[in-house]
Amino acid sequence: MKFIKIILSILIFISPANANTIFYLIKIPNLEIHSIKSVNGLKYLKAIKPFEVGIRDNNVTCFNSSEEDIEKKLPLIEKNLNRYSAAFLNIINLKYIVLCENLSVSQISAAGVPNSKTKTLVIDIKFNEEHFERVLHHEIFHMINESHKQNFFYEKWKNFNNSEFKYAECSTCSNRLGLSLLKENKGFVTEYSMSTPSEDMAEVFSFIMTNKEKIEDKALIDPILKKKILFIKKNIFKIDENFNFN
Amino acid sequence: MIKKLKQTVSEKFLLIFVIVLTVIFFGSFITMKNKCLFVKNYDPEKINFVNPKNIAILNAYCGNVVIELYPNVSPKSVERFKMLIKSGEYNNIVFHRVIKNVLVQAGDLEFGEKNNLNYTYIGTGKSGYGTIKSELENKFDFKKGTVALARTDQKNTEDSQFFILLQDAPLFEGEYTPVGKVIYGLEVLKKIKYSEKTEYVLRPDFINYFEMLVN
Repeated sequence: MKFIKIILSILIFISPANANTIFYLIKIPNLEIHSIKSVNGLKYLKAIKPFEVGIRDNNVTCFNSSEEDIEKKLPLIEKNLNRYSAAFLNIINLKYIVLCENLSVSQISAAGVPNSKTKTLVIDIKFNEEHFERVLHHEIFHMINESHKQNFFYEKWKNFNNSEFKYAECSTCSNRLGLSLLKENKGFVTEYSMSTPSEDMAEVFSFIMTNKEKIEDKALIDPILKKKILFIKKNIFKIDENFNFN
Repeated sequence: MIKKLKQTVSEKFLLIFVIVLTVIFFGSFITMKNKCLFVKNYDPEKINFVNPKNIAILNAYCGNVVIELYPNVSPKSVERFKMLIKSGEYNNIVFHRVIKNVLVQAGDLEFGEKNNLNYTYIGTGKSGYGTIKSELENKFDFKKGTVALARTDQKNTEDSQFFILLQDAPLFEGEYTPVGKVIYGLEVLKKIKYSEKTEYVLRPDFINYFEMLVN
């Protein structure tokens, strides 16, 4: 116990002293406010220098973007994120959007890093131009899932799939990385959705938000996908009965 | 007969330079020794306040910090804050967390008392009166000089610790409970001892006394 106290004291005494007030809120250094007057209360922050947070498996790094790139991408990000009401964002603990590029987690590229504890979603503004808008909703689902794990029970989700199907151990442990809509009707929307239950849910949610008609048409001939769509919708409505998928 | 030598222009400049250097040298001794030299110490008795009942005076090493409290913004929190001020519990309490040009934090009544400073636990102490709920509903502009209650990572854990902002922090709105604003004497807080490398200061400064203007 004494040892732990000493370690804690040392950690406190070596904490950075030159960080700004943003750091004290969300524990990410080198950020600056970009815009804080959005319609749903989201605060957009940007990296002004590269930053690195966390250690080992949770090591997150990202680089600052040019003002021009941010200005170019922000309307697209806002258009998508403004679909979520302030009340819903409050329920899922999302308040801060960090804009940067070349985002990676443990040196593996990532589109976004959600953290409901610090109410933050870090977004790589240059991640996959083709699927960028959908990926935003995918990351929002991770925020939803992180704050409401009890609503998205993985075992139940796994049972929707054919019994012979097995997910990978983690989202980055497989080479199932494709983000395009699959033609086969085996209950999966993309190759990436086969990686883990959480990614599968996020992919289904993101298609409902961005390509609802197409995915619902697909569900007409794919009973597994139909169950998954119903599951997502039902549980989102449990969180917020006023949620709007359109 | 001794011939009088006339000073050249460069010799005159050199003489002026030496005089200036001497003045700076001795002057720096005075200024370095007194960190409060250019800090104005406000006398609250000489200031007219619209609502003196909501004025609190925090006295630190370099003088008075005059704080206006806002019970209309955060009624319960201001009530707690006033109670602790009136009971004198903030007197001789350490500024345990000082971040240059960002904020100063004090109010650890358990581990931050001058005669009983506990470096191991400082910043984690409680008042003994229990925690109170965060009051975040009202809009508030977290400008430089804002006084707000500190809390743990969780909301509704406010107690006796408070911080005063030395820079604007618009993102703090909706996160921390504001209780007031410094209206005079912010420079006094900028002179509180800080460390360039850590938030926590060894041999720190203390609140001499903290009192309401009208009791």
